[in-house]
Parts: sequence; C-alpha cells; structure tokens
Amino acid sequence: MTRFLIRRLLRAVLTILIVVVAAFVALRTTSDPAMVILGPDAPPDALAAFRKAWGLDQPLVIQFASYAWQILHGEFGKSMLDGADVLQKVTARVGVTLEIMVPALILGVVFGVALGTLAALNRGRWLDRLMMFGAVAGFSVPGFVLGLVLVLIFAVNLHWLPSGGNDSWTSALLPVFTLAVGWAAILARFTRSAMIEVLDQPYIRTGSAKGLLWHEVVLRHALPNASIPVVTMVGFMVGGLLAGAVVTESVFSWPGLGQLIVTSVTSRDVSVVQCVLVLVATTMVVSNMLVDLLYTWLDPRMKEAQA
Amino acid sequence: MLLLPRRRFLGLTAGALAAPSLSFAQAAGRPEITIAVQKLATSNTLDPLSEQSNVGTRIMNSYLECLIGQDLRGDLSPIPRLATAWTRIDDKTVELDLRRGVKFHNGDELTAEDVVFTFSPDRMMGDTTPEGWDKTISVVERTVTARTKELPPQVPAVARRLWPSLVKVEAVGDYKVRFINATPDVTMEGRIMALGSQIISRRAFEEAPSWLDFARAPVGTGPYKVEKLDPDTELVLVSHDDYWGGLPPLKRIRFVQVPEAAQRVNGVRAGQYDMACDLTPDQFAQVESDTRLEVVGGIINNIRVTCFDKHDTALVDPRVRQAMLHAIDRQMIVDQLWMGKTVVPKGDQFKWYGDMYLSDWAAPEYDPAKSRQLLKEAGYKGDAIPYRLLNDYYTLQVNNAQVMVEMWKQVGLNVEIEMKENWSQVWDPNGTRGVHDWSSGGSFPDPVATQPNQWGPQGQAVQTGEYGNDEVNTLCGVLQTSTDKAARRKAFQRMLVILEREDPAYGVINQNATFTAKSKSMGWQVSPSFAMDFRPGNWS
Repeated sequence: MTRFLIRRLLRAVLTILIVVVAAFVALRTTSDPAMVILGPDAPPDALAAFRKAWGLDQPLVIQFASYAWQILHGEFGKSMLDGADVLQKVTARVGVTLEIMVPALILGVVFGVALGTLAALNRGRWLDRLMMFGAVAGFSVPGFVLGLVLVLIFAVNLHWLPSGGNDSWTSALLPVFTLAVGWAAILARFTRSAMIEVLDQPYIRTGSAKGLLWHEVVLRHALPNASIPVVTMVGFMVGGLLAGAVVTESVFSWPGLGQLIVTSVTSRDVSVVQCVLVLVATTMVVSNMLVDLLYTWLDPRMKEAQA
Repeated sequence: MLLLPRRRFLGLTAGALAAPSLSFAQAAGRPEITIAVQKLATSNTLDPLSEQSNVGTRIMNSYLECLIGQDLRGDLSPIPRLATAWTRIDDKTVELDLRRGVKFHNGDELTAEDVVFTFSPDRMMGDTTPEGWDKTISVVERTVTARTKELPPQVPAVARRLWPSLVKVEAVGDYKVRFINATPDVTMEGRIMALGSQIISRRAFEEAPSWLDFARAPVGTGPYKVEKLDPDTELVLVSHDDYWGGLPPLKRIRFVQVPEAAQRVNGVRAGQYDMACDLTPDQFAQVESDTRLEVVGGIINNIRVTCFDKHDTALVDPRVRQAMLHAIDRQMIVDQLWMGKTVVPKGDQFKWYGDMYLSDWAAPEYDPAKSRQLLKEAGYKGDAIPYRLLNDYYTLQVNNAQVMVEMWKQVGLNVEIEMKENWSQVWDPNGTRGVHDWSSGGSFPDPVATQPNQWGPQGQAVQTGEYGNDEVNTLCGVLQTSTDKAARRKAFQRMLVILEREDPAYGVINQNATFTAKSKSMGWQVSPSFAMDFRPGNWS
C-alpha cells in the first residue's frame, strides 16, 4: 500500500509539473502579454518598459527558472494586469465557484444515482425509457443552450429568477440547475448500466432466494457493487469542480473562477492563468488519488491486485 | 370589512413580488440604477492613465473630471468644467482659472496644488522628460508591486504620449494654474480635456497605501464617487452630494459586467438591469419587442479602419492597396450590417476638429472596375494576402471581414482570413501580416490625436514595421508644433492624401456606434461618445 501511495504521489507531482511547464511555454510563446494587456494603441515605450518590468525580455529559460523558484517558495506572484496578489485573486474566486458547483454536484449525484437505479430496476419498461430519454437529452443539450432557455423562461417571461449575476441566493438557482442536469444525466446512464450488470449476477439471485427483502438486495448488495464506475465519474466531476463551470459562469455572469480563467487567458495575465492551472491540476490529481483509494475500500480485491 | 382568503392573499403577494418592473429602485427620493456592460475596465483599474480604453471612457467622467470638459449632451465641444476660463499666454503656455468651491470626494477643496500634483512626476510623468513629439520617451523601468507608490511603467509612457512636451504645470495663486510646454502647441487646450488629464486629489493619492489602491478607487471631483470595484464583476458609484454642479440625480449607479450580449438583453427585458450597453443592431428587434424598452445611441468619435502592412510582398505596390480600397462598398456595409445606424466617414477625421475638419474629403469611392485596372497595372498575380482577424473585438468585426473578403474576391484579390486570439498575434512581425482591423478615435479635437499616434514616427504601425513614410513623418512635425492654422490644415490635408490614397496605410470603413437598451420612461440623453453622462440635468 505504501509503495502504491508513493508511486501515485510521484505520478501526481509529475503531472502537475507537466501542466506548469506546458502552460508556461504556451502562454509565453503564443503572445506578447505586454501588447495584449496594454492594448493595440499602447506607445512602444510603454510596451518596452512593461516587458522589462515583468522580465518578459529575458530568455524563456531564465523566466521559467525565476517562476519555478517563486512557486517553490509558495509565491504565485502579481497579476500583470493590475499588480494585485495572484493567490488572493484566485482564492477569492474559488469560493464563488464552489457556491454553485458543490450544490450542483450533490444534486447531480443524488438524482443521477437515484434515477439510474430506478431505471435499471425497471429495465425495458416505460419508466426506464422515459428516464433514459431524459438522460440522453440532459447530456446532449449543451449547458449554454439549456442556460439561455432557462433564463428566457424563468427570468425574461416569468420574472421569477434573476437572469444572471451573483446578487442573492436566487441568482445561484439557474446555474446550479443547469450544471446539475448535465451531471445527473451522465450519472443516471452510468448507474443504470452498472446496476443492470450487477443485477444479473448470481449473488443477487442468491440474495433474493435467501429471502432478503428486495430493497435490502438493492441497497446492500447491488448498489455498492455497481458503484465503481459511478465513483470514477464522480471523481472526475470533483476534480473538475474548480474549472468545470467556465461556460456556465460566462452564460450567467457568475463571477467565479471560470470567468477569471476566461478573462485572464484572453488578457494573457499569465501569472493568474498559471496559478489557476496549478490549482485545477492539483485538484484533479488529488481527486483521482482519492478515487483510487476509494476503489480499494469498495472492492478489497483491488487492494490485493495493487499490492 | 374586506375579507381576503389566505390563498388569495399569498397569491397576490407572490404576484406582486414577482411582477416585472421597469421602475428604478428608489432610495431617498433618488433612483438607484444597474447597468449591464460587456466589460467594466480592461486594466482592472479606474485610473485614466492605465485605463486608456473605450470602456474606461464610459465610466470615467462620472467620478473624475478634467479642467476643460466636453459637452456630452451636445457636440462634445469644449466647455468649462473645473476651470471656469482659460487664456493663451503664448504658443507654449495656457493659463486657467479654477472653479472655486469644488469639493473632492474626500471633502477637500480643489486648489491649484491638486492640479500641479496631477501632472507631476510623482503622479503622472515618472522620470520622463519633455522630449518632443518625434523622440522616443525613455521610461525608467521599475518592478511593479502592489504595495509601493511606484507608478506602473505604462503610466509615464501613456502620460508622455498625451503630453510629449509638457515641462510643468505651475500654480499662479490658489485658483490659477499655468500649463507650460517646451515647444509651441496649439492643441494644449485639447490635451487638457483628454482622457488622462483628469484632476485627482493630492492628499488622497499620497495617503493611498499603493498606486493600485488609488487606481481602484480614485478620488476626484465627479458627481459620483467610487464605492466599490470588484474587477471583472461590478463597479458601484454613489452620489457625491457635495458635487459643485448640484445634487447628482442618481443615488447609486451599479455597473455589472455581463460578457454575453444575449444575457444583457435578457437582463434588461427581465427588469434586472435598467440599461444594457454594447448592443449590436441585430439585437434591436429583440429589445424593442418589449414595448416598454427602446434602443438609444448612435455614432461616436471613433472610426473603424482596415490597415495594411505595406511591406507585405503582395502589398508593396501601393496600387494593390488602392485597389483594395476601391473594392469596398462601404455604404452597403453600413446599410446591411449596421442597418443604416451609422455612416461612412469622410476619411479618418471628425467634425469636432472644427477648422481642421476637411469637409470636402471622402472615403475612396466604390469602383470595382478601377480596382481591377489597378491590379492589372500592378501585375498582381493572385498572391494570398493574409487578413489577421480578431473574433469580434470590434462590433460586427467578423461579419464585416467576411463581407470585405468577398468584395475583394469580386475584383480578383485573394485575401485569406486568419483568426487570431489577441493583438499581439495580429501585430506579430513574424510571417506575413497583410491586412488587419483597427479603430481610430480622437481623444481631443485635433488630428494630432489620431494620425500621428498611429502612423507617425512614434506610432504603433511605424514602430512595429508595418508602415513608414518620410513625408508623413515631416507632416506630423508640422501638426505637432506649428501654430500657423493654415499650414497645419494644409499638412493634415496632405497627410490624408498620402495615408488614404497615394501610399495607403489604411482605409476607413464606417463610423463606430454604440447602442444602449433602456426603458422608454427613463429620461436620459445619450452622448455622441463612449461616455455615459449622469450629471445633474440629464435625468428625469
């Protein structure tokens, strides 16, 4: 187990390192941040001074060495756009993003797993077909389309909810619903497939034959065994919590990390983009590690295989 | 006694709460409004020397003011603002009388000391010196940090471009100042009213913990003061009740950033926003389908131009560039893409130039036959001309580009669109540049504010190696330093002939326009500018 953990940790560090290097090189070689930030009418002297001030006139290797040194000391630097502290800027947005992502994830998991299970238990019947039709529609319709449709209905026509922004708790309802629909749809499909496979296993028949109540068979024997693929999907969703709402945040003008990513990439505020990417990569890597650990708890045979 | 069943009462209450409302939130008798904009500020600051943008112009005049103002409800002509009168002492000196009793947002009274400080090295010029119009300005490089009062490197450079020859501003008593230039300059009054020359409170700047702190909440004399800036999210301005011009009509103005155009329209239709800015003509019908709403706005002092890299192999011969200009049916672009809501300008110039405006000048006429003839004479063999294009940085930019490419194709020109992500990629000297879009705006009423900044010796196009013309450089000198009105007008005329005809650097397409959706019941007059005016007298 220790060897497994060490191996996974090393792989995690390597992944984050690759992300950092790739982002650094891509952001600096595809554009000149000075011109992007100062705009098309900036005086040449201002551009030169800006490059000098931020070390952009140095060779790429030296720039990277300086950046790596900073990161190793827990410093993410200042925003080239306005000089604000990058870490403060990014962390301030994390909470705002999680305000919609966490409820959406909870709703997505609860409804996705419940509906998928229900569909599997009613395999081939009209309820199953209805739910799967809904699930296919749910993940086929892009979030921005669903979001705009919801705004037209609930904000423009009914005037029940705000069309966007983050003014009150009601502002979160439409983005949360938009995100939850997509996730619930995906999880419903996965849960249904996994459950159908498990429900066909001999031990389920044995459980029923032993006289166990059907809900006991489903909850205690079928669902845990069907949870491996579902946990994998949820792991991906958790990993994408920070950066998974870029489009939804843009549609609803939700001032979270997604919107910060878009504006920072557009304005080539490289220190901010790099900080966000490190954060997102770390979240994804940690989430994947947790999922791996969870596998061994859900299915002890995996522990043996890993050993 | 009126009996109201519980269910009916609840229903009515819920209905009342949910009912759409286009009335503005009232607070202490004055409304509070919310305005949805595409972008709050490009630099995440509110400082006029770092936020040199169209979106910055929109908000700036609400909290900062210049000594000489623009008539935002008229033709943008100069009007007294913080200065009540101004006189020319000589070719290099302007003297201004300051308005008395003007209060800054922090309660201090405006005096000559604040004006002198505004144009000082500490606030504006850094270590730069008045080198003159044709010299490269040296900017001392500094490390930018949020916790020092050091100016970011772009601030002195921007300041010096606006004021290349300003030696100093000196106080002549508490309420009189003199702007003293190193070289003769007839445009000094214009520069005093330009974006970047807004007056700030000396004490507020000195007391701010850092430049960034001040730049995010500048203390000026405008009718509203900055309450809160949440970059990329919202800007809240509140009434400056001691405003010298009277009590501001609004208690609070909240600008919220809504990047999606459809969402700005949805928000105003839903009653969530009182105004939605940055609309395109194709959204008008959607807005006006709600009979309570209307779209206001129109042309502003900004012109869309298409620029050439004259060193591109296919464009070296000026006849190819001339052919491109004659192949564009500008009126059709205005009529079809802009639904007739703008105009074809008479070259890259504005009526507010006054005596310098050349009313008999015009954009190159649409003449495909002439284009074909010019291409034949130039021996153009169909070489590809790249068109570096941004994704709607300007309103309708991509649609406009596609239309022009088809027009060029009709006369035998092979122009290929290359989508670019940002300006750095558009200007990148590597590879073939060909054609790209740009806009030209006049920050003060004189051609010096436009052509020399773009195609003069220190202009971006020349500095990036895209254009260069010795005669244009000489003419820029005349425009910058001559005090002979006739000579300046002649120089400008000749400059337009070269830049738009003989050795084209660019071609004008259409005058830019801005459009805002608002309630019909809102008595507010839009300005012929990016600026939004919420001063006393412009609200009912």
